[in-house]
Amino acid sequence: MRTLLALAASLLIAAQAQNVELLGAGATFPAPLVTAMADEYRDVTGGRVTVNYQSIGSGGGIRQFTEQTVMFGMTEAFLNDAQLADIAAAGGGVAFNLPITLGDVVPTYNLPGVAKGLVFDGDTLAEIFLGNVTTWADPQIGALNPGVRLPPLPITVVHRSDGSGTTNIWTSFLTKVSPAWADRVGFATSVNWPTGIGGNGNEGVAGVVQKTPGAIGYNSLVYAVLNDIAYGYVENKSGNVIEPSLTATSLAADVPLPSDTRILVTDTEAPDGYPIAGFAWMLMYENLDANNAIATRAQAEELLKFVLWAITDGQDLAEPLSFSRIPAAVLQLNLDMIRQMKFQGEDLGAQVLAAAGY
Amino acid sequence: MAVTAPATGSAAPPAAAPRGLATVTPEHLRRRYRRDRFMIGLLVLATAAVLVPLLIIVWYVVSNGISAVLTFDFYTQDLGSPARALQGRPTGLGHTILGTIVVDALALLIAVPIGVGAGIMLSEYPDHPLNPVLRILNDTLNGMPAILKGLLAFSLIVKPMGTFSGISGAVALAFVMLPIIARATEGVLRIIPWSIREAGLALGLPRWRVVLNTVLPAARVGVVTGILIAFARAAGEAAPLLFTSFGNNFFSSTPLRYLMGPVDTLPARLYSLAISPYKEWHAMGWGAAVILLVLVIVTFVGTRIVTRARHATDL
Repeated sequence: MRTLLALAASLLIAAQAQNVELLGAGATFPAPLVTAMADEYRDVTGGRVTVNYQSIGSGGGIRQFTEQTVMFGMTEAFLNDAQLADIAAAGGGVAFNLPITLGDVVPTYNLPGVAKGLVFDGDTLAEIFLGNVTTWADPQIGALNPGVRLPPLPITVVHRSDGSGTTNIWTSFLTKVSPAWADRVGFATSVNWPTGIGGNGNEGVAGVVQKTPGAIGYNSLVYAVLNDIAYGYVENKSGNVIEPSLTATSLAADVPLPSDTRILVTDTEAPDGYPIAGFAWMLMYENLDANNAIATRAQAEELLKFVLWAITDGQDLAEPLSFSRIPAAVLQLNLDMIRQMKFQGEDLGAQVLAAAGY
Repeated sequence: MAVTAPATGSAAPPAAAPRGLATVTPEHLRRRYRRDRFMIGLLVLATAAVLVPLLIIVWYVVSNGISAVLTFDFYTQDLGSPARALQGRPTGLGHTILGTIVVDALALLIAVPIGVGAGIMLSEYPDHPLNPVLRILNDTLNGMPAILKGLLAFSLIVKPMGTFSGISGAVALAFVMLPIIARATEGVLRIIPWSIREAGLALGLPRWRVVLNTVLPAARVGVVTGILIAFARAAGEAAPLLFTSFGNNFFSSTPLRYLMGPVDTLPARLYSLAISPYKEWHAMGWGAAVILLVLVIVTFVGTRIVTRARHATDL
């Protein structure tokens, strides 16, 4: 009853038109974090600002951002030069990629009698996904896992059938560690898989892996943990075997970054970094008024305030939800990009930063 | 086979035939009765084949979703983030139910006048030069995949407005309803005898008054049935809503925003809950399915009762 009254009251107050609704869409992986931020931010602003984020996939996020139907997009694959050109051609001008969190992709498997923690290196994963290593009894896997009794099961490779940022991160790692993979397959949000069966979405891959003894797939770490699927540890560029974790993921991104943050942080030099990681970027226009989805100065200002909150205070929400914080260097780059954002020529980004003390 | 088979008294003899007569029935007549019973058996079997899957679906949905829909929060809270469900904080689909009612009602408001109008045009003015084109367009629209209707609404409304909205969702669903309503209306108006129209015309009524005051009331039950079928079909569609009403995890901030901003709808939310990695959201997805089922059934039964009652008093 109280909630009903509260609802009625909030509807009445809302009629004063003080309230702002922000709309974003895109990648599935950061959705639990972004929606949790939305929940929290609504409380922080006393119910005044609602952030509606719909997870429709990285491809959809870029698409709707380009179509200017959302105020911000979200993607696990940064905007490439062709996409930036498309956006400029569609009248949007310059678009920024702002890292909000980090995603990591882990090899998931189903081996009766083998718990999590099987060790892989880049070459072995590439050989498995190329279809060259076809049985778990292969000496290449055995050499990495002395003392583990590997069942002589045939390997079933499982991959995503839809376009996915997770696939982009996974295949960019394989491309960097294996010349054969780079030559035959390469990396993208969807690729021509040499072998294996497809599953739709994280849940599709997880489902097939869980039902098929001998299967190996790849999933977001959060997803593997939530669904209790065994996942492997991966050797990084420095030769260290890294257990996937939030800190190991943040460490992987602690490398020199370009000012537009458009970089794949797979297989980085960071000695303790987990090698299969990548940013989830928020997409925004430099000239916020160029985006059809943003109608008023008030909306643009509230959007900037929310983004600033999301990359500062909002980061505290990340780790309890199994998401990685963005490193300090990334925060600085984000602030620099926000500072350049304008609304009808007015330096709104710089104003919002100044008001918050940045 | 013995001629004095005891089967005779049981099922099929015509009312006029006394019991004793069966024993002297010629062989070919008995064969007819047997065939008749066989055909009735087949029909019962066919009916069961239709009903059993329906009952299984209803039972399965209800048994999975009942725990979710029996909580108070389910109707009064909005969804928010998955963290709410995982941490046991209040979460629900109140905003989804509200959004579905708004979008579906508006879709009906758009589709019924146009659809019934098109049906009247096709049935009452069969010689009108526009009719062949209208019929082709109507059938094309009926056969068009629902996702394309969503795309149409996207380019007609979402793009110019610059944002996803309840209105665009309603228009997309209206595209789904329109051809069904038009076809059904045409069908039932056609079986109304011409003598009724002639009676009206003989009283000096103009043609449009004849249609509105005599033909349409006579066909009311049929027209309403057509509208209901169209409604039930559209209420379950997720595809046209994906890029029109789009979705929302929260109650809209003002009533107007349910029309002008992105809103949640049950079929679309059901899908996104179902593919999520959270058990708690799966349960809520089943709950959404139960509400959708109830919404359609209540509309069906309610409208039936109302039209039946009115019909009876009119007579």
